[in-house]
Amino acid sequence: MSAWARGRALRHSRLQVVLAIAAIGAAVALPVVLVSVGGGVSQHEISELENAGYQISVSASGLHGIANAHRLAGRIDAIASVTAASPVLSIAVDAFVGTGGATPVLAEGVVPGAFSATLGPAESGLFPDPLPLGDPTDLVHYANGTYTGPATYDVMVSTPYEIAAGVHPGEQLDLAATANRSDAVAYNVTGTFGVPPSLLGPTGAFAILVPLSDLQGMTGYAAGASTPVPDAADTIEVAVTGAVATDPAALNQVEAEIQSLVPYYGVSELSQEAQQLEAASGVLTGFYLALSSVGVAVGLMFLALVQLRRVEAERRSIGIRRALGLSGRSIAGGIVADGLGLAALGAIVGVVAGWAIVAALAAWGTSTVQEAATLAIFSPALLGAIVAGILGLSVLASAVATRAALRIEIPEALR
Amino acid sequence: MSGRAGAPTVELRGVERTYGRGSPDEVRALRGIDLTVPAGAFVSVEGPSGCGKTTLLNLLGLLDRPTGGSIEWDGVSVGAGSERERARLRLERVGFIFQRFYLLPTLTARENVELPMRAARVPRAERLRRAADLLDEVGLAGRERAFPHQLSGGEEQRVAVARALANAPGLLLADEPTGELDSTHTAAILDLLERVRTARSATLIVVTHNPTVAARAGRHIAMHDGRIAADRTGA
Repeated sequence: MSAWARGRALRHSRLQVVLAIAAIGAAVALPVVLVSVGGGVSQHEISELENAGYQISVSASGLHGIANAHRLAGRIDAIASVTAASPVLSIAVDAFVGTGGATPVLAEGVVPGAFSATLGPAESGLFPDPLPLGDPTDLVHYANGTYTGPATYDVMVSTPYEIAAGVHPGEQLDLAATANRSDAVAYNVTGTFGVPPSLLGPTGAFAILVPLSDLQGMTGYAAGASTPVPDAADTIEVAVTGAVATDPAALNQVEAEIQSLVPYYGVSELSQEAQQLEAASGVLTGFYLALSSVGVAVGLMFLALVQLRRVEAERRSIGIRRALGLSGRSIAGGIVADGLGLAALGAIVGVVAGWAIVAALAAWGTSTVQEAATLAIFSPALLGAIVAGILGLSVLASAVATRAALRIEIPEALR
Repeated sequence: MSGRAGAPTVELRGVERTYGRGSPDEVRALRGIDLTVPAGAFVSVEGPSGCGKTTLLNLLGLLDRPTGGSIEWDGVSVGAGSERERARLRLERVGFIFQRFYLLPTLTARENVELPMRAARVPRAERLRRAADLLDEVGLAGRERAFPHQLSGGEEQRVAVARALANAPGLLLADEPTGELDSTHTAAILDLLERVRTARSATLIVVTHNPTVAARAGRHIAMHDGRIAADRTGA
């Protein structure tokens, strides 16, 4: 039977056909949404890692666990091929604007010059260069571990925070490690910085940047017998020269040199982290597909039932065809072709519906959902694999109806 | 246009057909039928309802399998062949005409006639030409695109005849072919079947209650209670 005639036959069971297509469509839309959004977010994070301005990261277990960060950064900086080593300490502090109460804000303590040198291409445009945070080396206040030098009391605020708190360059912002205003120290707002697109937008957006030694001093991570970790940092981000950055063997060697300086800290290349993230992304994709398989199974069962119902309704037509001499293979081929047609239409509906859902989330979702949906990637290869999988499984779903059709006794069907 | 393998000589030897064998509802539809139909014959099968006429026709056309005895075409056993082989024989050598026409409702007249040729892998151009010729031959030129529900009973039966002739079969089997037609249409269909049989040297076996139809046959088989009660030759 021609495709045209087959379509005509399907019109006779319009409701069943529409329901089967809807069931398959719903089954396909779910993995399309999960895989495209999940894959997009993972890809974005991997891209962020790959485009970071630093290639090696030093980290320690525990809270703010890197000790002697200024000195260690200096030693790493002294390694040939290293262009900058930027220690970073991230701690939530309290800010007081005007006569208002305390508001928590994420403070990043950095060495201004090193921080600028380790910014990636996406971030560098968001920060002024040089950073208006006084001493670019942060060594004056640090004063060789004594913290006796003059502090700059300079602070930069993110543009979302500037707008939300109403603090602008040239004004004063009081900062303290606790919510007690009497502990607060007055800082001069010397500039602003933009916030890169991130799924952590609402948290990262309300951030300030201060010299590392200032933050250490404010939070008790500077020096002295009572400090939990003297001269603390969370990570040291290390940038290398261009030639080394693109040569895995040379990068491994630099990593090994740094590791020999700090055998008790973790040293990792961002490319490794990207690979790990990619592997995790693969596992997640598999998980999404496994999760979606429930919906797919229900959709295919529905298709099988619709096909079986159609065979029951068309017993006589099938009997006539077989009486005329059409082979069992031809009858089976017709049923499978119908199943494939319905599954293909359902898959198209599912892909379009998935795309529409993602577009709707990007337009009207909550902020994080909206941002995640914006990052969605509709990979033709992956969508093709999903559709091919559905088509393959539809053949299995048609098998039940095919078996029933081939068991029809011709004389009985023609009675 | 003659049959690909010509009209077969059909031989039934001790053919039995029992439904629900061994069950309390067992029905012995045919009991030891011995029958030889030479190639090119026009045979009518008559008898009261439930005497086994349609069962006999189904066995002759390989739609059903006997539960005993043998069926041979030209000396070759066909009764117990594989379903695939029997489907091939039905496609290439048998033309069925059913009482209730049994056209496929979703296909046009031309597509219904094309169906057996499509299954026999006749090239499209040849298929279209033959379908047009056959519909012309049964007087339905210009009605190719009509669906069964748009045709009268007589037209539907003529499409069914054209479909039965599509692969130029040697054995034409008709089950009450005029059962749902008025006398005018009955005569027209009988004329057509006779003309086709003569032109193609085909064997025609017609199951009928209608004396007008039976009168046209050269041999008359009367059945009763699953047995051949009488077998006479002549109009």
